[in-house]
Amino acid sequence: MARVLTEARTAPPMSQRRKDIRRHVLIYAALIPFLIIAVFPIYWMLITAFKQDPDLYRMDHIPFWFNMKPTLRNFDILFHQTNYGAWLLNTFTISAWVSAITLLTAVPAGYALARLKLPGSENTGIAIFLTYLVPPIILFLPLSRIVAELGLQDSWWSLVVVYPTFTIPFCTWLLMGFFKTVPMEIEEAARVDGCGQAGAFLRVILPISLPGVLTSVIFAFTLSMQDFLYGLAFVSPGDQKPVPVGVPTELIRGDVYYWGSLMGAALLVGLPVAVLYNFFLDRFIQGITGGIGK
Amino acid sequence: MTGSSLHGGPDPMARAAVVSVPARSVARPWVSHTARRMMFGYTLLAPAALYVMLLVAAPFLFSLYLAVSDASVGDPVAHFIGLENFRAAWEMDLFWLALRNSVVFFVVAAILKSLLGTSLAFLLLQNFKGKKLIRGLVVIPFTLPIAISVLSWKWMYDSQFSVINWVLSRLGLIGQFGSEGWPVWLGDPKLALAACILVNVWRTFPFSAIVLLAGFTSVPVEVLDAAKVDGCTFFQRFRHVVAPMIFPILMIGFLFDTVFTLSDLSVVYLLTQGGPANATKILPVLAYQIGIQAGNLGRGAAIALFLVPLLLPALILVLRNIKRREW
Repeated sequence: MARVLTEARTAPPMSQRRKDIRRHVLIYAALIPFLIIAVFPIYWMLITAFKQDPDLYRMDHIPFWFNMKPTLRNFDILFHQTNYGAWLLNTFTISAWVSAITLLTAVPAGYALARLKLPGSENTGIAIFLTYLVPPIILFLPLSRIVAELGLQDSWWSLVVVYPTFTIPFCTWLLMGFFKTVPMEIEEAARVDGCGQAGAFLRVILPISLPGVLTSVIFAFTLSMQDFLYGLAFVSPGDQKPVPVGVPTELIRGDVYYWGSLMGAALLVGLPVAVLYNFFLDRFIQGITGGIGK
Repeated sequence: MTGSSLHGGPDPMARAAVVSVPARSVARPWVSHTARRMMFGYTLLAPAALYVMLLVAAPFLFSLYLAVSDASVGDPVAHFIGLENFRAAWEMDLFWLALRNSVVFFVVAAILKSLLGTSLAFLLLQNFKGKKLIRGLVVIPFTLPIAISVLSWKWMYDSQFSVINWVLSRLGLIGQFGSEGWPVWLGDPKLALAACILVNVWRTFPFSAIVLLAGFTSVPVEVLDAAKVDGCTFFQRFRHVVAPMIFPILMIGFLFDTVFTLSDLSVVYLLTQGGPANATKILPVLAYQIGIQAGNLGRGAAIALFLVPLLLPALILVLRNIKRREW
């Protein structure tokens, strides 16, 4: 800022503007390769989903645009000839349950660790966060035994039980950060006004922290959909799978790939999740980096 | 909890009870204020702590037990067999191949994504129009559920109708389909691992960039200005001011990436299932195939546990960093 001002004073305005334009052109030019790398696979899915089958398999035409009329047939196949509708329903029900379990456990835990000055709360917080880093590949074999003991194998309920193992640690940590930002005075004022410990939490702190609580719900939802291993290992009946597992395992029959339907199925769920997650990405990064100590 | 039932609500009597401290201590003389707060706190903490203990800590210990037992999917009764599973893995050629592939995968991917991520972060640090939109587009690979984006790559790597090959062919870099140099990305043992690494890099380089960006923006402008006033050059400022300040954040980003890259099964499983000719067999895929598909829970658990020594250095490094920071 300061540099811009001093330069503006010494140089005539026209060359200043030209300089600015040149700078923009350089930056955009450097960003274009990154944009192509990042977005092309998604664009490719999108256009594949709306192409007619023969249009996919012609190497003599430019493949980046429609050479035959766009079609909705791939989605028609998806909803009428596969379990896709069931997978969608499974995905949303699983995520809703996981969010509920996560909220009921992580909100009180985050509050207790952030505000109540419990002995050892610092280490407990770190320990809970570290469990987020125990990778599913180490846990999935013992968990498969536990899922079997509970009689939940081959049902999406197994995923409702298992997904909170990563959403609770992450959301507890995230909520600790939120609760720490609420000024102590507000709570004290509530206590003076006659709220008990629980009253102050439920009636004063929780409403103020609503954005934090909603953010946790978003993460419980989106993190649930990032899973592949648990779904693959615990749920094998075709109608019990969530979308991210069902699409790659059920829509490929033998060696035949229904690319149009595959891409449509993947995008229909993937894009909304990606957009939602996009809005909260900074909170995610803050949660894993800046959340520590603040 | 008890506090709320005694003094909850705006009822004037209850207010009086809170304001007059002696009245409260008369009501419960044997429970001190601190003890009540702690009881309340541990009650709130209990559900989350129990969940994590029962479904993360206990299974982790259970996996240690599985690894020294002959448990299998068909036979629920497991016998203690000592370190037999580890010894068997140790003597398995496939295990060493998987370990080697895992390490190559991780190291090559880490180098590529830090190069790409750093350059992207420096670009996004500039001020320009449409920055928000471009940032939002560039991070899509990271936000898209992985099993879904891998499908797109599988289609782009198609043996005959690969769009990558179409472009290369039109550019004259390779011949027509069926010619000698036509790359079969997922079918050629020489290319398959590189193809899988590329997908991992594609997915995680935005994450590297965003973490780095978060680090840069956490450095207060005043500090940089102070260094500038003191006569520091750009590189001195970077070396002595920026780098030490963003180091902890970078470490944590690095840890996350290490865990997720080393333990991720979905990219390789969905693209090649470890083939062709085991060229992309990595430890997670081997553990899954032996533990679930072959039903040998004990052996699978032992192989998965070999990831722990690979993850441990990163974990310790980060723990030390967390501890050093102020609370």
